[in-house]
Amino acid sequence: MTTTVDTERRARFEAIWAEHSLKVRAYCVRRVPSHDADDVCAEIFLVVWRRIDEVPPSPKTLLYIYGIAGKVVSNHTRSFRRRSRLDEKLRNLGVAPPADPAFLVVQSSDDAVVADAVRNLSRKDREIVMLYAWEDLPRDDIAEIMGMTRSAVDQRIRRSYQRLARVLEPLIKPIPSPPVAEEGAI
Amino acid sequence: MTHDQIDRMVRQANPLPEPSALGPVDVPVLTTERRMDMQTDDRVMDEGGGRNRWRGPLVGIAAAAVILVAGLVFFLTREDNPVAKPAPNATRIDSEPGAPLSLGAYFVDPDGVEATTLGGTFVIGASGWANLASGAIKQVVVGEGSYVSLLVVEVDRVWSQGCQGGVPVVAGTSAEAVADQFAAAGLTTREALAPVTAFGHDGYHLVVEIPAGCANTEGTIWSGGNYPGRFYHAEGQVVEFWFLDVDDTPVMVEASWMAESPEEDVAELKALIDTLVITP
Repeated sequence: MTTTVDTERRARFEAIWAEHSLKVRAYCVRRVPSHDADDVCAEIFLVVWRRIDEVPPSPKTLLYIYGIAGKVVSNHTRSFRRRSRLDEKLRNLGVAPPADPAFLVVQSSDDAVVADAVRNLSRKDREIVMLYAWEDLPRDDIAEIMGMTRSAVDQRIRRSYQRLARVLEPLIKPIPSPPVAEEGAI
Repeated sequence: MTHDQIDRMVRQANPLPEPSALGPVDVPVLTTERRMDMQTDDRVMDEGGGRNRWRGPLVGIAAAAVILVAGLVFFLTREDNPVAKPAPNATRIDSEPGAPLSLGAYFVDPDGVEATTLGGTFVIGASGWANLASGAIKQVVVGEGSYVSLLVVEVDRVWSQGCQGGVPVVAGTSAEAVADQFAAAGLTTREALAPVTAFGHDGYHLVVEIPAGCANTEGTIWSGGNYPGRFYHAEGQVVEFWFLDVDDTPVMVEASWMAESPEEDVAELKALIDTLVITP
Protein backbone atom coordinates (compact mmCIF):
# COMPACT_ATOMS: atom_id res chain seq x y z
CA MET A 1 0.00 0.00 0.00
CA THR A 2 1.40 3.37 -0.97
CA THR A 3 1.20 6.03 1.71
CA THR A 4 1.34 9.79 1.40
CA VAL A 5 4.82 9.73 2.90
CA ASP A 6 5.99 7.27 0.23
CA THR A 7 4.53 9.47 -2.47
CA GLU A 8 6.35 12.47 -1.09
CA ARG A 9 9.61 10.56 -0.89
CA ARG A 10 9.25 9.37 -4.44
CA ALA A 11 8.44 12.87 -5.67
CA ARG A 12 11.50 14.21 -3.89
CA PHE A 13 13.69 11.48 -5.35
CA GLU A 14 12.41 12.20 -8.84
CA ALA A 15 13.11 15.89 -8.38
CA ILE A 16 16.65 15.10 -7.24
CA TRP A 17 17.12 12.77 -10.20
CA ALA A 18 15.86 15.38 -12.65
CA GLU A 19 18.17 18.05 -11.26
CA HIS A 20 21.36 16.12 -10.57
CA SER A 21 21.47 12.80 -12.42
CA LEU A 22 23.37 14.20 -15.39
CA LYS A 23 26.14 15.62 -13.21
CA VAL A 24 26.36 12.46 -11.15
CA ARG A 25 26.53 10.29 -14.24
CA ALA A 26 29.30 12.52 -15.56
CA TYR A 27 31.07 12.11 -12.22
CA CYS A 28 30.93 8.34 -12.69
CA VAL A 29 32.07 8.38 -16.31
CA ARG A 30 35.10 10.44 -15.27
CA ARG A 31 36.14 7.92 -12.64
CA VAL A 32 35.25 4.40 -13.72
CA PRO A 33 35.35 2.52 -17.03
CA SER A 34 32.43 3.65 -19.17
CA HIS A 35 30.83 0.21 -19.28
CA ASP A 36 30.53 0.31 -15.46
CA ALA A 37 29.56 3.95 -15.10
CA ASP A 38 25.80 3.45 -15.32
CA ASP A 39 25.90 0.65 -12.73
CA VAL A 40 27.92 2.78 -10.34
CA CYS A 41 25.60 5.71 -10.90
CA ALA A 42 22.60 3.49 -10.21
CA GLU A 43 24.22 2.33 -6.98
CA ILE A 44 24.75 5.94 -5.92
CA PHE A 45 21.10 6.79 -6.48
CA LEU A 46 20.07 3.63 -4.72
CA VAL A 47 21.86 4.92 -1.62
CA VAL A 48 20.22 8.32 -2.16
CA TRP A 49 16.83 6.61 -2.29
CA ARG A 50 17.49 4.71 0.90
CA ARG A 51 18.62 7.86 2.64
CA ILE A 52 16.14 10.16 1.03
CA ASP A 53 15.03 11.48 4.42
CA GLU A 54 18.61 12.53 5.21
CA VAL A 55 19.37 14.26 1.92
CA PRO A 56 19.74 17.99 2.61
CA PRO A 57 17.83 20.53 0.54
CA SER A 58 19.39 22.53 -2.27
CA PRO A 59 22.10 23.87 -2.57
CA LYS A 60 23.62 21.15 -0.39
CA THR A 61 21.94 18.26 -2.19
CA LEU A 62 24.56 17.75 -4.88
CA LEU A 63 27.42 18.02 -2.37
CA TYR A 64 25.77 15.30 -0.29
CA ILE A 65 25.38 13.08 -3.35
CA TYR A 66 29.00 13.64 -4.33
CA GLY A 67 29.97 12.51 -0.83
CA ILE A 68 28.05 9.26 -1.36
CA ALA A 69 29.43 8.94 -4.87
CA GLY A 70 33.03 9.11 -3.66
CA LYS A 71 32.47 6.15 -1.38
CA VAL A 72 30.55 4.10 -3.91
CA VAL A 73 33.29 4.68 -6.48
CA SER A 74 35.89 3.61 -3.90
CA ASN A 75 33.98 0.39 -3.36
CA HIS A 76 33.75 -0.12 -7.09
CA THR A 77 37.50 0.47 -7.47
CA ARG A 78 38.20 -2.27 -4.97
CA SER A 79 35.93 -4.64 -6.87
CA PHE A 80 37.54 -3.55 -10.12
CA ARG A 81 40.98 -4.48 -8.79
CA ARG A 82 39.75 -7.93 -7.93
CA ARG A 83 38.22 -8.21 -11.37
CA SER A 84 41.46 -6.97 -12.94
CA ARG A 85 43.25 -9.92 -11.43
CA LEU A 86 40.68 -12.14 -13.14
CA ASP A 87 41.25 -10.26 -16.40
CA GLU A 88 44.96 -10.93 -16.04
CA LYS A 89 44.27 -14.64 -15.71
CA LEU A 90 42.08 -14.44 -18.79
CA ARG A 91 44.88 -12.72 -20.67
CA ASN A 92 47.14 -15.60 -19.80
CA LEU A 93 44.59 -17.85 -21.43
CA GLY A 94 44.55 -15.69 -24.54
CA VAL A 95 41.28 -13.90 -23.67
CA ALA A 96 41.60 -10.12 -23.73
CA PRO A 97 39.14 -8.08 -21.66
CA PRO A 98 37.34 -5.35 -23.57
CA ALA A 99 39.08 -2.00 -23.84
CA ASP A 100 37.31 1.08 -22.56
CA PRO A 101 36.16 3.04 -25.60
CA ALA A 102 35.60 6.27 -23.69
CA PHE A 103 39.25 6.86 -23.06
CA LEU A 104 40.33 5.59 -26.46
CA VAL A 105 38.04 7.87 -28.43
CA VAL A 106 37.59 11.02 -26.44
CA GLN A 107 41.10 11.84 -25.40
CA SER A 108 44.20 12.80 -27.29
CA SER A 109 47.36 10.97 -26.28
CA ASP A 110 48.60 13.92 -24.21
CA ASP A 111 45.26 14.25 -22.45
CA ALA A 112 45.32 10.55 -21.68
CA VAL A 113 48.76 10.95 -20.09
CA VAL A 114 47.48 13.85 -17.97
CA ALA A 115 44.36 11.91 -16.96
CA ASP A 116 46.49 8.91 -16.00
CA ALA A 117 48.74 11.14 -13.91
CA VAL A 118 45.68 12.51 -12.12
CA ARG A 119 44.41 9.00 -11.50
CA ASN A 120 47.79 8.05 -10.02
CA LEU A 121 47.50 10.65 -7.28
CA SER A 122 46.61 9.36 -3.83
CA ARG A 123 42.92 8.69 -3.32
CA LYS A 124 42.12 11.94 -1.52
CA ASP A 125 44.32 14.13 -3.67
CA ARG A 126 42.86 12.57 -6.80
CA GLU A 127 39.31 13.15 -5.66
CA ILE A 128 40.04 16.76 -4.70
CA VAL A 129 41.74 17.52 -8.02
CA MET A 130 38.92 15.89 -9.99
CA LEU A 131 36.21 17.72 -8.05
CA TYR A 132 38.10 20.96 -8.61
CA ALA A 133 39.11 20.62 -12.25
CA TRP A 134 36.60 18.18 -13.72
CA GLU A 135 33.45 18.81 -11.67
CA ASP A 136 34.50 22.47 -11.50
CA LEU A 137 33.39 22.84 -7.89
CA PRO A 138 34.37 25.78 -5.68
CA ARG A 139 37.03 24.92 -3.15
CA ASP A 140 34.69 25.64 -0.23
CA ASP A 141 32.28 23.00 -1.54
CA ILE A 142 35.12 20.51 -1.95
CA ALA A 143 36.13 21.14 1.65
CA GLU A 144 32.59 20.32 2.74
CA ILE A 145 32.40 17.13 0.67
CA MET A 146 35.79 15.91 1.87
CA GLY A 147 35.33 16.95 5.50
CA MET A 148 38.39 19.16 5.38
CA THR A 149 39.16 22.78 5.99
CA ARG A 150 39.33 25.12 3.04
CA SER A 151 43.05 25.66 3.67
CA ALA A 152 43.66 21.91 3.62
CA VAL A 153 41.98 21.71 0.23
CA ASP A 154 44.10 24.62 -1.03
CA GLN A 155 47.21 22.86 0.21
CA ARG A 156 46.23 19.53 -1.37
CA ILE A 157 45.53 21.13 -4.75
CA ARG A 158 48.78 23.08 -4.69
CA ARG A 159 50.78 20.01 -3.72
CA SER A 160 49.02 17.76 -6.23
CA TYR A 161 49.70 20.24 -9.02
CA GLN A 162 53.36 20.35 -7.99
CA ARG A 163 53.49 16.58 -8.27
CA LEU A 164 51.70 16.59 -11.59
CA ALA A 165 54.12 19.24 -12.84
CA ARG A 166 57.06 16.93 -12.19
CA VAL A 167 55.38 14.10 -14.07
CA LEU A 168 54.02 16.17 -16.94
CA GLU A 169 57.00 18.43 -17.56
CA PRO A 170 58.04 16.46 -20.68
CA LEU A 171 54.65 17.17 -22.28
CA ILE A 172 55.32 20.90 -22.39
CA LYS A 173 56.62 21.60 -25.84
CA PRO A 174 58.99 24.54 -26.17
CA ILE A 175 57.42 27.54 -27.87
CA PRO A 176 59.47 28.30 -30.95
CA SER A 177 60.95 31.76 -31.08
CA PRO A 178 59.37 34.03 -33.65
CA PRO A 179 61.46 34.35 -36.77
CA VAL A 180 63.65 37.40 -36.75
CA ALA A 181 63.58 39.37 -39.97
CA GLU A 182 66.96 39.83 -41.47
CA GLU A 183 68.14 43.34 -41.84
CA GLY A 184 66.91 44.77 -45.11
CA ALA A 185 64.23 42.15 -45.62
CA ILE A 186 60.71 43.26 -46.29
CA MET B 1 55.68 24.70 -15.18
CA THR B 2 53.20 27.06 -13.55
CA HIS B 3 50.07 26.30 -11.54
CA ASP B 4 47.95 27.76 -14.35
CA GLN B 5 49.61 25.57 -16.96
CA ILE B 6 48.93 22.43 -14.94
CA ASP B 7 45.38 23.58 -14.25
CA ARG B 8 44.73 24.03 -17.97
CA MET B 9 46.20 20.62 -18.77
CA VAL B 10 44.15 18.86 -16.09
CA ARG B 11 40.93 20.59 -17.17
CA GLN B 12 41.63 19.80 -20.81
CA ALA B 13 42.14 16.13 -19.90
CA ASN B 14 38.62 15.91 -18.48
CA PRO B 15 37.23 12.82 -20.22
CA LEU B 16 33.74 14.29 -20.20
CA PRO B 17 33.90 18.10 -20.27
CA GLU B 18 30.19 18.54 -20.89
CA PRO B 19 27.74 16.29 -18.98
CA SER B 20 24.94 17.04 -21.43
CA ALA B 21 26.80 14.86 -23.93
CA LEU B 22 25.46 11.90 -22.00
CA GLY B 23 21.85 12.49 -22.92
CA PRO B 24 18.83 12.02 -20.66
CA VAL B 25 17.97 8.83 -18.80
CA ASP B 26 14.57 8.12 -17.31
CA VAL B 27 14.19 8.07 -13.57
CA PRO B 28 14.53 4.53 -12.20
CA VAL B 29 11.43 2.65 -11.16
CA LEU B 30 11.25 2.73 -7.40
CA THR B 31 8.62 1.14 -5.22
CA THR B 32 8.21 0.90 -1.52
CA GLU B 33 8.50 -2.85 -1.75
CA ARG B 34 11.79 -2.61 -3.60
CA ARG B 35 13.12 -0.29 -0.98
CA MET B 36 12.07 -2.62 1.82
CA ASP B 37 13.38 -5.72 0.07
CA MET B 38 16.73 -4.30 -0.93
CA GLN B 39 19.45 -6.83 -0.24
CA THR B 40 22.46 -4.84 -1.29
CA ASP B 41 24.63 -3.70 1.57
CA ASP B 42 25.01 0.06 1.33
CA ARG B 43 27.84 0.33 3.77
CA VAL B 44 30.78 1.91 2.10
CA MET B 45 34.35 1.03 2.73
CA ASP B 46 37.52 2.96 2.11
CA GLU B 47 39.52 2.03 -0.94
CA GLY B 48 42.46 -0.08 0.03
CA GLY B 49 40.63 -2.57 2.18
CA GLY B 50 41.49 -1.11 5.55
CA ARG B 51 43.95 -2.48 8.02
CA ASN B 52 42.28 -5.87 8.47
CA ARG B 53 44.16 -7.31 5.53
CA TRP B 54 47.39 -7.43 7.45
CA ARG B 55 46.35 -6.92 11.00
CA GLY B 56 46.85 -10.63 11.58
CA PRO B 57 50.63 -10.66 11.73
CA LEU B 58 50.67 -7.53 13.86
CA VAL B 59 48.21 -9.02 16.31
CA GLY B 60 50.54 -12.01 16.53
CA ILE B 61 53.38 -9.70 17.33
CA ALA B 62 51.24 -8.00 19.92
CA ALA B 63 50.52 -11.33 21.59
CA ALA B 64 54.21 -12.03 21.80
CA ALA B 65 54.86 -8.63 23.23
CA VAL B 66 52.25 -9.04 25.95
CA ILE B 67 53.61 -12.44 27.00
CA LEU B 68 57.11 -11.08 27.27
CA VAL B 69 56.42 -8.06 29.39
CA ALA B 70 59.31 -6.44 31.17
CA GLY B 71 62.94 -7.05 30.45
CA LEU B 72 66.03 -5.18 29.55
CA VAL B 73 65.61 -1.71 28.09
CA PHE B 74 67.93 -0.82 25.33
CA PHE B 75 68.43 2.66 24.14
CA LEU B 76 69.40 3.68 20.73
CA THR B 77 72.81 5.28 20.95
CA ARG B 78 73.21 7.44 17.90
CA GLU B 79 73.76 10.96 16.86
CA ASP B 80 70.88 13.40 17.19
CA ASN B 81 71.18 14.32 13.55
CA PRO B 82 71.70 11.18 11.53
CA VAL B 83 73.71 11.76 8.40
CA ALA B 84 71.98 10.71 5.20
CA LYS B 85 73.90 8.33 3.02
CA PRO B 86 73.03 7.47 -0.57
CA ALA B 87 71.36 4.15 -1.37
CA PRO B 88 71.83 3.69 -5.12
CA ASN B 89 69.87 1.14 -7.16
CA ALA B 90 67.20 0.81 -4.52
CA THR B 91 64.41 -1.68 -5.19
CA ARG B 92 60.85 -0.39 -4.78
CA ILE B 93 59.08 -2.47 -2.15
CA ASP B 94 55.88 -3.70 -3.73
CA SER B 95 55.46 -7.07 -2.07
CA GLU B 96 52.79 -7.94 0.43
CA PRO B 97 53.37 -6.69 3.98
CA GLY B 98 55.27 -9.31 5.90
CA ALA B 99 57.13 -10.59 2.85
CA PRO B 100 60.83 -11.08 3.60
CA LEU B 101 63.37 -8.56 2.37
CA SER B 102 66.79 -9.81 1.36
CA LEU B 103 69.95 -7.78 1.86
CA GLY B 104 70.10 -4.67 -0.29
CA ALA B 105 68.81 -1.16 -0.86
CA TYR B 106 65.07 -0.50 -0.88
CA PHE B 107 62.76 2.36 -1.81
CA VAL B 108 59.54 3.09 0.06
CA ASP B 109 56.84 5.51 -0.99
CA PRO B 110 55.83 7.74 1.95
CA ASP B 111 52.77 9.19 0.22
CA GLY B 112 51.75 6.03 -1.64
CA VAL B 113 51.71 7.95 -4.93
CA GLU B 114 53.89 6.39 -7.57
CA ALA B 115 53.61 9.47 -9.73
CA THR B 116 55.60 11.53 -7.24
CA THR B 117 59.29 11.29 -6.58
CA LEU B 118 58.88 11.56 -2.80
CA GLY B 119 60.60 8.54 -1.36
CA GLY B 120 62.79 7.02 1.28
CA THR B 121 65.65 4.65 0.60
CA PHE B 122 67.48 2.50 3.10
CA VAL B 123 69.86 -0.41 3.08
CA ILE B 124 69.11 -3.67 4.82
CA GLY B 125 72.40 -5.17 5.89
CA ALA B 126 71.19 -8.06 8.03
CA SER B 127 68.85 -10.99 7.60
CA GLY B 128 65.39 -11.41 9.09
CA TRP B 129 63.80 -8.17 7.89
CA ALA B 130 60.42 -7.98 6.19
CA ASN B 131 58.22 -5.52 4.32
CA LEU B 132 56.13 -3.19 6.47
CA ALA B 133 54.26 -1.40 3.65
CA SER B 134 56.08 1.91 4.15
CA GLY B 135 59.17 0.55 5.83
CA ALA B 136 60.71 -2.56 7.29
CA ILE B 137 60.19 -4.73 10.33
CA LYS B 138 62.28 -7.36 12.05
CA GLN B 139 60.37 -9.72 14.22
CA VAL B 140 61.37 -12.85 15.99
CA VAL B 141 59.23 -15.92 16.44
CA VAL B 142 56.02 -15.20 18.30
CA GLY B 143 56.49 -16.14 21.91
CA GLU B 144 60.23 -15.70 21.81
CA GLY B 145 60.62 -11.98 21.34
CA SER B 146 59.27 -8.84 19.85
CA TYR B 147 59.96 -6.56 16.92
CA VAL B 148 61.86 -3.51 15.79
CA SER B 149 60.58 -1.45 12.88
CA LEU B 150 61.14 1.56 10.70
CA LEU B 151 58.43 3.46 8.82
CA VAL B 152 58.61 6.43 6.46
CA VAL B 153 55.15 7.87 5.89
CA GLU B 154 53.27 10.98 4.96
CA VAL B 155 50.64 10.93 7.70
CA ASP B 156 47.12 11.81 6.57
CA ARG B 157 45.10 11.18 9.74
CA VAL B 158 45.85 11.41 13.46
CA TRP B 159 43.24 10.12 15.88
CA SER B 160 41.95 12.85 18.13
CA GLN B 161 42.44 10.96 21.39
CA GLY B 162 45.58 9.10 20.45
CA CYS B 163 45.62 5.52 21.65
CA GLN B 164 42.25 6.02 23.29
CA GLY B 165 40.69 6.41 19.90
CA GLY B 166 38.49 9.37 19.17
CA VAL B 167 37.94 10.40 15.59
CA PRO B 168 40.43 10.61 12.75
CA VAL B 169 41.55 14.18 12.26
CA VAL B 170 43.21 15.42 9.10
CA ALA B 171 46.95 15.63 9.68
CA GLY B 172 48.57 19.01 9.68
CA THR B 173 50.14 20.28 6.52
CA SER B 174 53.51 21.10 8.07
CA ALA B 175 55.97 19.04 10.07
CA GLU B 176 55.38 21.26 13.08
CA ALA B 177 51.61 20.80 12.93
CA VAL B 178 51.89 17.01 12.64
CA ALA B 179 54.46 16.93 15.44
CA ASP B 180 52.11 18.88 17.68
CA GLN B 181 49.33 16.38 16.97
CA PHE B 182 51.54 13.47 17.99
CA ALA B 183 52.85 15.26 21.06
CA ALA B 184 49.23 15.61 22.18
CA ALA B 185 48.34 11.96 21.49
CA GLY B 186 48.49 10.90 25.15
CA LEU B 187 51.70 8.88 24.89
CA THR B 188 54.37 9.07 27.60
CA THR B 189 57.03 11.54 26.60
CA ARG B 190 60.56 10.25 26.84
CA GLU B 191 62.26 13.02 24.91
CA ALA B 192 60.25 16.17 24.44
CA LEU B 193 59.44 17.60 21.06
CA ALA B 194 62.44 19.57 19.80
CA PRO B 195 63.58 21.09 16.52
CA VAL B 196 66.03 18.93 14.63
CA THR B 197 67.76 18.53 11.31
CA ALA B 198 67.70 14.89 10.29
CA PHE B 199 68.10 12.97 7.07
CA GLY B 200 68.96 16.27 5.44
CA HIS B 201 65.69 17.98 6.32
CA ASP B 202 64.50 20.31 9.05
CA GLY B 203 61.78 19.21 11.40
CA TYR B 204 61.00 17.99 14.87
CA HIS B 205 62.08 15.05 17.00
CA LEU B 206 60.01 13.26 19.62
CA VAL B 207 60.50 10.04 21.61
CA VAL B 208 57.58 8.44 23.43
CA GLU B 209 56.78 5.29 25.32
CA ILE B 210 53.50 3.47 25.02
CA PRO B 211 51.81 3.82 28.40
CA ALA B 212 49.65 1.32 30.23
CA GLY B 213 46.20 1.15 28.72
CA CYS B 214 47.45 1.98 25.25
CA ALA B 215 49.28 -1.23 24.52
CA ASN B 216 47.98 -4.22 22.66
CA THR B 217 44.82 -2.50 21.56
CA GLU B 218 43.37 -2.03 18.16
CA GLY B 219 43.15 1.70 18.71
CA THR B 220 44.61 3.26 15.63
CA ILE B 221 46.74 6.31 16.31
CA TRP B 222 47.58 7.40 12.80
CA SER B 223 47.28 6.42 9.14
CA GLY B 224 48.95 7.54 5.96
CA GLY B 225 50.62 6.60 2.71
CA ASN B 226 50.47 2.87 2.16
CA TYR B 227 50.02 2.32 5.87
CA PRO B 228 46.31 1.89 6.59
CA GLY B 229 46.43 2.33 10.36
CA ARG B 230 49.07 2.18 13.06
CA PHE B 231 48.53 0.95 16.58
CA TYR B 232 51.13 -0.07 19.13
CA HIS B 233 51.63 -3.34 20.86
CA ALA B 234 53.18 -3.29 24.28
CA GLU B 235 53.46 -1.11 27.32
CA GLY B 236 56.96 0.30 27.33
CA GLN B 237 57.31 0.07 23.55
CA VAL B 238 59.53 2.95 22.53
CA VAL B 239 58.64 5.00 19.47
CA GLU B 240 61.00 7.60 18.09
CA PHE B 241 59.63 10.11 15.59
CA TRP B 242 61.16 12.57 13.21
CA PHE B 243 58.64 14.93 11.60
CA LEU B 244 60.33 16.52 8.63
CA ASP B 245 59.46 19.17 6.08
CA VAL B 246 60.49 17.63 2.77
CA ASP B 247 59.89 20.10 -0.02
CA ASP B 248 56.73 21.37 1.73
CA THR B 249 55.47 17.85 2.40
CA PRO B 250 55.47 16.69 6.02
CA VAL B 251 57.11 13.28 6.20
CA MET B 252 57.27 11.19 9.36
CA VAL B 253 60.03 8.73 10.15
CA GLU B 254 59.04 6.31 12.90
CA ALA B 255 61.48 3.93 14.56
CA SER B 256 60.12 1.53 17.14
CA TRP B 257 61.45 -1.13 19.44
CA MET B 258 60.27 -3.01 22.49
CA ALA B 259 61.56 -2.86 26.01
CA GLU B 260 62.75 -6.42 25.63
CA SER B 261 64.06 -6.15 22.09
CA PRO B 262 67.43 -7.89 21.73
CA GLU B 263 70.35 -5.51 21.65
CA GLU B 264 71.49 -6.81 18.28
CA ASP B 265 68.06 -6.10 16.73
CA VAL B 266 68.14 -2.55 18.03
CA ALA B 267 71.65 -2.19 16.65
CA GLU B 268 70.38 -3.38 13.24
CA LEU B 269 67.58 -0.85 13.44
CA LYS B 270 70.11 1.86 14.20
CA ALA B 271 72.19 0.78 11.23
CA LEU B 272 69.10 0.85 9.04
CA ILE B 273 68.21 4.36 10.18
CA ASP B 274 71.74 5.52 9.46
CA THR B 275 71.29 4.56 5.80
CA LEU B 276 67.93 6.29 5.39
CA VAL B 277 67.76 8.96 2.69
CA ILE B 278 64.57 10.93 2.03
CA THR B 279 64.19 12.48 -1.40
CA PRO B 280 61.56 15.14 -2.19
